[in-house]
Amino acid sequence: MLNKLEKFNHRLSDWFEWVGVAGILLMMVVTCIDVTGAKLFKSPLFGALDIVQLSQLMAISFAASMTLILGRHIEVEFFVVLLPRKVQAVIRSVVLLIVLGFFILIIWRLLVLGYSFHASGEYTPTAYIPYYPFVYSVAAAFIPFCLVLVQEFLKSLRRGGQK
Amino acid sequence: MTGTTVGIIGIALLILLFLLRMPVAFAMALVGFAGFSYLTSADAALHLLARNIFDTFASYPLSVIPMFILMGTFAYGAGISQRLFKTTYTWIGHLRGGLTIATVFASAGFGAICGSSTATAATMGKISLPEMKKYHYDDALATGTVAAAGTLGILIPPSTVLIVYGILTEISIGKLFVAGIVPGIILSIFFAVTVGLLCWRNPSIGPPGPSFSWKERLRSMTGIIEAIILFVLAIGGLFAGLFSPTQAGAIGAGGALVIGLARRQLSWQKFIEAAKEALRTSCMVLFIIMGAVVFGHFMAVSRIPFVLAEWLGGLPIPPMAVMAVIAFIYFIGGFFMDSMGLIVVTVPIFFPIVMKLGFDPIWFGVIIVLVGEMGVITPPVGVNVFVIKGIAPDIPLQVIFRGILPFLGALIVFTILLMFFPKIATFLPALVSY
Repeated sequence: MLNKLEKFNHRLSDWFEWVGVAGILLMMVVTCIDVTGAKLFKSPLFGALDIVQLSQLMAISFAASMTLILGRHIEVEFFVVLLPRKVQAVIRSVVLLIVLGFFILIIWRLLVLGYSFHASGEYTPTAYIPYYPFVYSVAAAFIPFCLVLVQEFLKSLRRGGQK
Repeated sequence: MTGTTVGIIGIALLILLFLLRMPVAFAMALVGFAGFSYLTSADAALHLLARNIFDTFASYPLSVIPMFILMGTFAYGAGISQRLFKTTYTWIGHLRGGLTIATVFASAGFGAICGSSTATAATMGKISLPEMKKYHYDDALATGTVAAAGTLGILIPPSTVLIVYGILTEISIGKLFVAGIVPGIILSIFFAVTVGLLCWRNPSIGPPGPSFSWKERLRSMTGIIEAIILFVLAIGGLFAGLFSPTQAGAIGAGGALVIGLARRQLSWQKFIEAAKEALRTSCMVLFIIMGAVVFGHFMAVSRIPFVLAEWLGGLPIPPMAVMAVIAFIYFIGGFFMDSMGLIVVTVPIFFPIVMKLGFDPIWFGVIIVLVGEMGVITPPVGVNVFVIKGIAPDIPLQVIFRGILPFLGALIVFTILLMFFPKIATFLPALVSY
């Protein structure tokens, strides 16, 4: 069961990460075209800043779950490792549960924010791209993130239960 | 409870969550949200939370971070780091300790196109450690040099930590980049002199490598031309006012990509790996900034930074003594936390104090980067040391830490020098107007 969840999360996060890769590359390409156009042809790319902003929003949120799987977030590791394994597992489980609760709250609030953007009609300043689909996408991108937290929580519980 | 009391409890809770191994970014966001909620209202905090995530991830000024990180990963994929090392190795590898000195200068060169100390240490470690092993260099000297020289990557522009510091304090990133140049060069010389002294005292730890003809040396210079082109294009364009920081990073990344393709070094697989690596690092950094932004709001409503600034400013001790205490806190903090996390957590607290005491904020940025970087080479959370351990698994950790000690000494001496002679960092930024 846990293995299946792990495989599913990895595959899902991998797909999501490709959206992030496209986002970061788009940021580079759009900025290069904008600079070259502005400096050489006096014709900057219309809405370049808007595209870069939204691409970054997509890139970072869609890479979040893979970054979590790979353990890339900075942690202070020196203290917990000194404790017995069981205590470590209990602490890990509690920490993961708190983070999971917090990110479920974040997803809910992002959906509320997306709805308010939709209702009030908020757009990017230059190209008038509506913000709300992107905010909803960020909320969606945090779903695999939460699934990874569930997976890690279950793993931690299992580790704590082992003799 | 007063705002200050809640703020102190919040800081204590934050430290507790750090100790319990909650990732720094999430702990800051969580404590910031809870504290803000307590001091204002739950509704305001809930609104602020989603808004801060959106504003941080969609921030155009912050897009400079992914672009400069991408520039570094593409430069590595394009093989620029290998050619840099080959050039320095061809010129000074025949000297006593020459391979380690070559590593120091190659790291400085790579630092000029890559903004991360860990990436610089990992890149140079993979290239130089096998060479040093081949010529029977002492393990402690070899690994200690690579780990310590990695810190040059964060000081010499572009620097991700200085970018984040600039964004948090609203100081010109261009000026901060300029401020890192001279200290970076002097620190490289300090490291090279350290190697020289160690090898002079015990020649067996750094035997001379092979000697190359002048023709070969001159031919090897092509290896640094690409790095110079990239530096002039991206950082030069930024200094000249041609590009904004984001544009400079994107042009640098595009330039590194073109070099990799022209050299036929950047295969499709390497290209994707470089993009993914840059994305993951950027994700980690932007999450930390998001956490810091939420935490910063809490600190602001708690008024802790201002109360602390008032209190420290009124103490009957010279401002430099307060500065020394702050530097010491960073030094100790660096033992337990990565420099990026440390700076993001502490800058909202210490920056108002530094301003109140009348210190130059650019100089302070360079100082805390230097002190924070001591943490990446000291136990128990010496990230660069673990990176080197990953590259050279047969060398015990204590040997690497032993090798780092002389370089840590050089870093401390240089930091003290910079504290008493701020002009080292501030005279160049004073000459530029952006």
